[in-house]
Amino acid sequence: MNLGQAIILRILQAIPTLLGVVTLVFFLLHLVPGDPVDALLGETALAADREAMRHALHLDVPLMQQYFTYLQGLLSGNWGQSIIDHRDVWLRMMERLPATIELATASLLLAIILALPLGYWAARYAGKIQDTASMTFSLLGVSIPNFWLGPMLMLLFSIELAWLPVSGMEQAGSLVLPTVTLGTALAAMLSRMARSSWLEAMSMDAIRTARAFGIAETWIWWRHAARIAAIPVMTMFALQLGAVLGGAVITETVFDWPGLGMLTIEAIQRRDYPLVQGCVLLIALFYVLANLLADVLGLLLDARQRHV
Amino acid sequence: MSKRVIYLLVCCFSLPVLVLLLSAWMNLDGHRVDLDNVLSGMSATHLLGCDALGRDVLARLAEGLRLSLFVGVVVVSLGACFGITLGMLSAWYGGWVDICLMRMADVLLSFPGILLAIALAAMLGSGVDNLILALVVVGWVGFARLSRVQVLSLKHASFVEAARVNGMPLPYIMIRHLLPNIAAPLLVEASFGLAAVMISEAGLSFLGIGVQPPNASLGTMIKEGTSLMLVQPSLVVFPGLMLFLIVMAVNLLGDALRDHLDVKHT
Repeated sequence: MNLGQAIILRILQAIPTLLGVVTLVFFLLHLVPGDPVDALLGETALAADREAMRHALHLDVPLMQQYFTYLQGLLSGNWGQSIIDHRDVWLRMMERLPATIELATASLLLAIILALPLGYWAARYAGKIQDTASMTFSLLGVSIPNFWLGPMLMLLFSIELAWLPVSGMEQAGSLVLPTVTLGTALAAMLSRMARSSWLEAMSMDAIRTARAFGIAETWIWWRHAARIAAIPVMTMFALQLGAVLGGAVITETVFDWPGLGMLTIEAIQRRDYPLVQGCVLLIALFYVLANLLADVLGLLLDARQRHV
Repeated sequence: MSKRVIYLLVCCFSLPVLVLLLSAWMNLDGHRVDLDNVLSGMSATHLLGCDALGRDVLARLAEGLRLSLFVGVVVVSLGACFGITLGMLSAWYGGWVDICLMRMADVLLSFPGILLAIALAAMLGSGVDNLILALVVVGWVGFARLSRVQVLSLKHASFVEAARVNGMPLPYIMIRHLLPNIAAPLLVEASFGLAAVMISEAGLSFLGIGVQPPNASLGTMIKEGTSLMLVQPSLVVFPGLMLFLIVMAVNLLGDALRDHLDVKHT
């Protein structure tokens, strides 16, 4: 199979998965125990109001018809309407998306800036104090819950030292704490991956040959081994492009960062089911795209993966 | 296990264990409201002080820790049971069963895990049972995939063939012959899964879609503590520290297990 075919095959494989994702999101509404209309309006609501709500949620038609209406709506760009303020779900999400993209980009940048030197350090001085230090950071990073790290950073930098604003996104520097909160876990995972792939690359025959030719050690690490080690690291980074949005849900709530994640939680608290469905679907779409990107990157960078 | 790991493990476990023991020994009640001691600091009667309703923080920490461990163990056990059974059956029978199950797994893996858990728990309604259900739905997939891949490579091994021609029933083959051979990576998955579930439980409770007040979860305690950070910072420091320590201990165990059993990637 050549490269183009492999990539096209991978993209085609994503289609049934996407359909499954949409189906699951559709059925989320039907997970609400009992009648969703009761959950929204209470059991004492007027019959006319109940009927109107039932109609607004398309619950007054057979299940299959609801499903196809939903699919049709998604394809034609109609993601439904909020049942609280009757505004278009798509527009509401697009208002919030830029803030999330800003936070996600900053966190991913921080992650890669931290992870590469840490991973290199740990691999180059494997078993020494540098390795221990760097892997301790990694262990702390994956173990610390972001909904606690956030308040702790606030306590130290906003309240005790008063260097940075507590929350929101209006003031200068307000991006810093959410970025550190979200980026730490990503950096921890990435640096671990960088360390192990660098070490694996350094044990290859090509590296032994390079050493035999008398090439400078640092040059081997950054020029020869880094190219091999980059494959799993870049794949993981591509996966994190999607995963960061999951983490953003909690981080945004901690810092009142007005992005997609906070919108999801607001929608959940107000039982705005169409908006919840829209947000979950949009984040899942990003996630699927990121996974696809990771696979395609793997195919592009690593010829071995094309023959599976 | 190296000495360093054991030392670290003892460090991580000692504080949570101390909290659990002290609370049991002093026979504390985390729901008793003591309005004379609202937001009080450390004292002889309330070792870690009281929260905004005058409830003993130490007792609530112990309650939260117990809940965290309970949810973690239940979710991982249920997820492992479903996942391993489905994964093994899927690999054994192949064909349509396999395709359907793996498509389902793909779909569940197309969501960031925490987001799917949030969405499911929000729709099902709050409460510990729904929280457990949501986390199991997210958690079984990893076990299923791992056991499937391994059974696929083992199912034509000669010792399995031998058991088959000897007329052993399928459940016997699976439990006696296949399971012991695929257990190592599953154990590692389970230990990292336990850490992830404990963080998720607290995270969902933090967002208000898990454990409901007045019951204590480390997540709800962090949430309540955050709003009182200016008055009494210890209310947010302690619960998070407990969660952090116990999660780190479990992660350390997972790492040690992985090195010991020589499992490559999970």
